[in-house]
Amino acid sequence: MSDDDLERQLRAALEPVNPGADFAPRVLARLAAEERLPRVRVPRSQALAGWVTFGLAASVVVAVLLAHQWQVRRMEQGIEARRELLEALRVTDQKLDLAYRVVNAPSHAATPQHSGA
Amino acid sequence: MSADEACASNALLARANAGDAAAFGVLVRRHQRLVYSLALRMVSDRHQAEDLAQEVFLQLYRSLDALESDEHVEFWLRRVTMHRAIDRLRREPRYLAAPLTEAEQVMSESDAADPLLARRLRTLLEELSPAARAVIVLRYQQDLDPVEIGRTLKMPVNTVKSHLKRALVQLRERMTSMTGAVQ
Repeated sequence: MSDDDLERQLRAALEPVNPGADFAPRVLARLAAEERLPRVRVPRSQALAGWVTFGLAASVVVAVLLAHQWQVRRMEQGIEARRELLEALRVTDQKLDLAYRVVNAPSHAATPQHSGA
Repeated sequence: MSADEACASNALLARANAGDAAAFGVLVRRHQRLVYSLALRMVSDRHQAEDLAQEVFLQLYRSLDALESDEHVEFWLRRVTMHRAIDRLRREPRYLAAPLTEAEQVMSESDAADPLLARRLRTLLEELSPAARAVIVLRYQQDLDPVEIGRTLKMPVNTVKSHLKRALVQLRERMTSMTGAVQ
């Protein structure tokens, strides 16, 4: 079979055809019917899948928020502990300073000599 | 198309876009042969072709505001019909043809006007992949060249040519083997 033969036969086999006289009215009727319905009709299984997706997404958001809140609380606890430590160090420093001053005061240094006499 | 006809077509398009059902009906009648023929040769089933063609026109109705001329509408219809048909064939492989049975391979002498031969050729077309079938239909039903086919199917021209070449080789081999079987 030659190329020309095959191409001629293909053109004949694929010749355009009409859909029938009622095609356009059927399209218009379907259009009218669909325009009366909501534009998007979601099948039940798709709706369920949508809710599952929404639920999963909401769970992820809640988990992220809880993790964030836990992290903030940990940070606040750390800051509070640091503050308390600094306060303790400050008090200790004051006490040590006081003790140093008492030990090195002239009156305190003379006291042993009086008692010795 | 003359300037007057172009003006009339654009006016029709504008009326349809404004919601004039009668104008849209004229548009459907004007292009129904194109859309239905493409759909029929792709899905090879009259009911499926009618359903697909109706869906294409419903989509057209909702896309009218993006279309500028009758040529644009024709190009759009061709492209949407072919893409919808290919999607349907890939999604629902039951529309892909079963191989020919031995009894079906009986055929007469080559003759383009022979309805039996045309039917056999259409059955062989159903054995092609959806993309290759689309290329053949656009080439031999719509007389589009590879560049136009590429634009319609959003496919590189070299891919179009490759599909065309391989599909013709496959069809020729199957036709020759069928003819040989009869002789």
